[in-house]
Amino acid sequence: MTPTNDSVVQTQVAKAESAQGGGDAVASPSPARGHARRRWALRTEIAFLAGPALLVFLTFVILPVIIAAYYGFFSWSGYGPATDFVGLRNYVVILQDEAFQAALRHNAIIVVLSLVIQGPIALGLALLLNRKMRFQSGLRVLIFAPYVISEVVVGTGWSLILASNGALNGLLDKLGLAGLQQDWLSNPSLAIWTLMAIITWKYIGFAVILFLAGLQGIPEEILEAAAIDGASYWQIQRRITLPLMGPTLRIWAFLSIIGSLQLFDLVYIVWGQYVAETAGTSTMATYMVSSGRNAGSYGYGNAVAVVIFLISLAVALLYQRFVLRRDTEGAVTGGNDN
Amino acid sequence: MSTSTLTRPGARAAVPSKGGDRRPRYGIYFIALLLVGVIVAPIAYIIIGGFRSNAEITQDPAGFPTQWRIENYANVLGSPVFWREVGNSTIAAVATTLLVVVLGVMAAYVLARYRFKGRNALFSVFTAGLMFPMTVAITPLYILVRSLGLMNSLAGVVIPQVGFQLSMTIIILVPFLRTIPTELEEAAFMDGCSRLGFFWRMVIPLSMPGVVTVGILAFIASWNSYMLPLFILNSESSYTLPLGVQAFASQYSVDTAKVLAFTSLSMIPALVFFSLFERRIVGGLTGAVKG
Amino acid sequence: MNRRTILAGTTALVTGALLLTACSSDPGTDGASGDGAVTLTLWQNSTTGDGMQYWQDMADAFHEQYPNVTVEVQSIQNEDMDGKLQTALNSGDAPDIFMARGGGKLADVVTAGQVMDLTDKLSDATTSAMGAAMSAFTIDGKVYGVPTAVLPEGFFYSQDLFDAAGITSTPTTLSELSDDVTALKANGTDAIAVGAKDAWPAAHWYYNFALRECSQDTMNKAASDRTFDDDCWLRAGEDLQTFAATEPFNNGFLTTSAQQGAGSSAGLVANHQAAMELMGAWDPGVIASLTPDEQALPDLAWFPFPEIDGGDGTPGAMMSGADGYSCYVNAPAECVDFLDFIATKANQEAYAAAFQTIPASSEAQGAVTDPALTKLLEAYKSAPYVMLWLDTMYGQNVGNALNVAVVNMLAGSGTPQDIVDAVNSAALKG
Repeated sequence: MTPTNDSVVQTQVAKAESAQGGGDAVASPSPARGHARRRWALRTEIAFLAGPALLVFLTFVILPVIIAAYYGFFSWSGYGPATDFVGLRNYVVILQDEAFQAALRHNAIIVVLSLVIQGPIALGLALLLNRKMRFQSGLRVLIFAPYVISEVVVGTGWSLILASNGALNGLLDKLGLAGLQQDWLSNPSLAIWTLMAIITWKYIGFAVILFLAGLQGIPEEILEAAAIDGASYWQIQRRITLPLMGPTLRIWAFLSIIGSLQLFDLVYIVWGQYVAETAGTSTMATYMVSSGRNAGSYGYGNAVAVVIFLISLAVALLYQRFVLRRDTEGAVTGGNDN
Repeated sequence: MSTSTLTRPGARAAVPSKGGDRRPRYGIYFIALLLVGVIVAPIAYIIIGGFRSNAEITQDPAGFPTQWRIENYANVLGSPVFWREVGNSTIAAVATTLLVVVLGVMAAYVLARYRFKGRNALFSVFTAGLMFPMTVAITPLYILVRSLGLMNSLAGVVIPQVGFQLSMTIIILVPFLRTIPTELEEAAFMDGCSRLGFFWRMVIPLSMPGVVTVGILAFIASWNSYMLPLFILNSESSYTLPLGVQAFASQYSVDTAKVLAFTSLSMIPALVFFSLFERRIVGGLTGAVKG
Repeated sequence: MNRRTILAGTTALVTGALLLTACSSDPGTDGASGDGAVTLTLWQNSTTGDGMQYWQDMADAFHEQYPNVTVEVQSIQNEDMDGKLQTALNSGDAPDIFMARGGGKLADVVTAGQVMDLTDKLSDATTSAMGAAMSAFTIDGKVYGVPTAVLPEGFFYSQDLFDAAGITSTPTTLSELSDDVTALKANGTDAIAVGAKDAWPAAHWYYNFALRECSQDTMNKAASDRTFDDDCWLRAGEDLQTFAATEPFNNGFLTTSAQQGAGSSAGLVANHQAAMELMGAWDPGVIASLTPDEQALPDLAWFPFPEIDGGDGTPGAMMSGADGYSCYVNAPAECVDFLDFIATKANQEAYAAAFQTIPASSEAQGAVTDPALTKLLEAYKSAPYVMLWLDTMYGQNVGNALNVAVVNMLAGSGTPQDIVDAVNSAALKG
């Protein structure tokens, strides 16, 4: 990849950034002679190129989910073959279980708060880092660092910091703010905010990097023209940058929503599988593990997995339908095959 | 790959030098400093904690080391177990990355530049993978890996990881490959290139930034993967680092300082790897977020 | 209902792979090869120095006696053990020898036909040495495991902290315990450490109240019908709720783990930051590993769970666990030899020393010297009856629901009635 190529791509990107947010730049094979032969050649190419990925994907992602759906219809303790067919009973119990409803509520709160908290902060940081300044690259690495560190490490660290007799309360004590000491993890009115703080700290880097990429894609000419016309910095950001960042923001929001719906590791490691429920930080995934695997109810756990999948899918479809429709064609909903 | 490629000319300020911004720079540096503080503090706590003694951590959780002890770090660095785990993690991450990139680029190329019936359906199938994390499918996955005879081997971890990484990879790469100008393709066909030839000679080099991005994401995901190895790898000789951290933490649970040292050392490789490629990530995503 | 009819219409690949998994009842890896060499894999739950060393030593000594047999020891974190074992068993890829906790949990494995029937295979020496401890591993008159330790429960406390708070004798009633808690808190330490993050340590409080409130028959009946229909189950919850309202537990007990690190409940006792905890007989060993010098806590002592007024339980009854080892159903015959091997007097004494606990073999119990454990052993021998942990006895499904409900109540988001309801509806999630 040479700088020259890079700028070619850049200008093309800028070109593609049309009012409709990028069109379909698919090259169609020139309608040539020997239709049938060409078609077969094309099919072979498609099979050769997409086949391996599809095979791995179907075998290791789709197939396990189908197996999970199958077990979801059984009462099965996980030993030996599943024989006790219970039909839809697992699903009825899930939807009536207060603990699941609570987990679903927490998931909804996490989805909304993630967007509301991370979006503005990440946008501000991206604008900041997009300016010429010293240590820019170092700053980027630092902001992205928490995203790079594994959940196991992050969870272990935060547990030590936030424990009742941990570092944070110790620090407050030193600063003479002992009155501010809190039970950060198990106080039900605080815990969800503690969780949001950890989530923001961990995942903000991902949002910043995405937004930076979006900012890089905004054609400089437009900004220069606006500046020459006497627009202030903030006017430029509000009138030009934000609207042009639309597709990026919408993609990030999509990934963030899906991630929030499936949050597991952090809660599991910092709170453990039992206290999460009473602290108000349980999620559908932690519910799945604690009422499925840990209770030895594998059939039930697999049914919960299916419910999580269906809820994620429904949210994704709605989002595609009403928000992303103009940005991507055919991601999940399958747009028109022009 | 020459070093010059690491400095992208594309990193430009969103604001032209003339007009627009007349505010002093100090504000910005102050904000930046504050930010660094908030982000780095927890990481620094973990790293510095490794230099303290246990008694200190228990008595005064939020203090600095009274004297910097390096033996915790020296012990970890001198243990063959740690290096074996680093080796396992590296093998798994590199293999995952290579496979994801190769399979992902091939599939994304088809989805981006071929027209055929069922293309959108195929794309939907791949994006559907985002809807279920590995946690959901872990039991069936375990059964599957076992029936393929891959228990206790890194291959049993790598191949499913590749499957689960493909969704994100393809979602990022498809828009990227679409932005490769049609003119280039036509020019290539004029020169008698087949579509596959065009793929090898033009697409691969041109999509480098995107490839680097998905490569890094795959590498990091594999490096930090915990759930899958926990179920697939039972013998300590095949442990990867996150399992090592866990095993170490329970083996030396009394010794918080040692655990902190082990933990810090286990996050360093991923951090270094990322900072080397950080600039390219932004370039890679630029194509993707266009949609 | 076979898989093929359900999944008709999916691709050939899907069906093919499913059929692969459908026939997973093939004989497990028995490690036997042509030249009579046998490899046995062993899963045990000790991840710290002496305990891990004990199993390695056993494996080496066994190999010396049976040169054709190699035992591969694998350590699994205690909190991961049940889940990993379950996954391994149901995929037919089980270890040959694995840790078993007895009771309903073991019954689940027996029902699925995943564990070897040892009834006529164990040596007479083993059976007689273990005596009553065998009962936890006996289901419908058949033996499925060999116990290694009996783990009766009570309060492990620090004599120094009790002295400092001016407490002269250990509490025998609930009101005396409450008075002692007040005295300890006034003296500036946490009174009782509880690792509620792992749920079971908090649930053990409920088990002990239930042991005092419910008769032996009621508790055994609940094991077969798995419902809590007697009034005593509710009373036990109310007792615990009333006691917890006096705030006897350590600050932040809901996010305290049981035995991981200096901040765990065992760590708090080991570092004199809390005066006592309610635990099974493994506790002295765990506490020793968490003291600053990693030596046994010199002032550690023991007293039984206090009596309460008006309960149906016989005074002196105890809660207890039993650790033991079972063989996978398709394990090689040498597996039984290994179980006999670890049950010998010398090896049981070595076990007691390595884990600082009470060995299951009555012959080896003379090796217990720790003063706290000696006192515990006396109480155990004179107890009218001993109950297995309720979450073990009632099986994983009911046990998990019970534990979660107790934590919920202690966190203030549940009631004693919720505990009873949770158990009664657990079967629905089967």
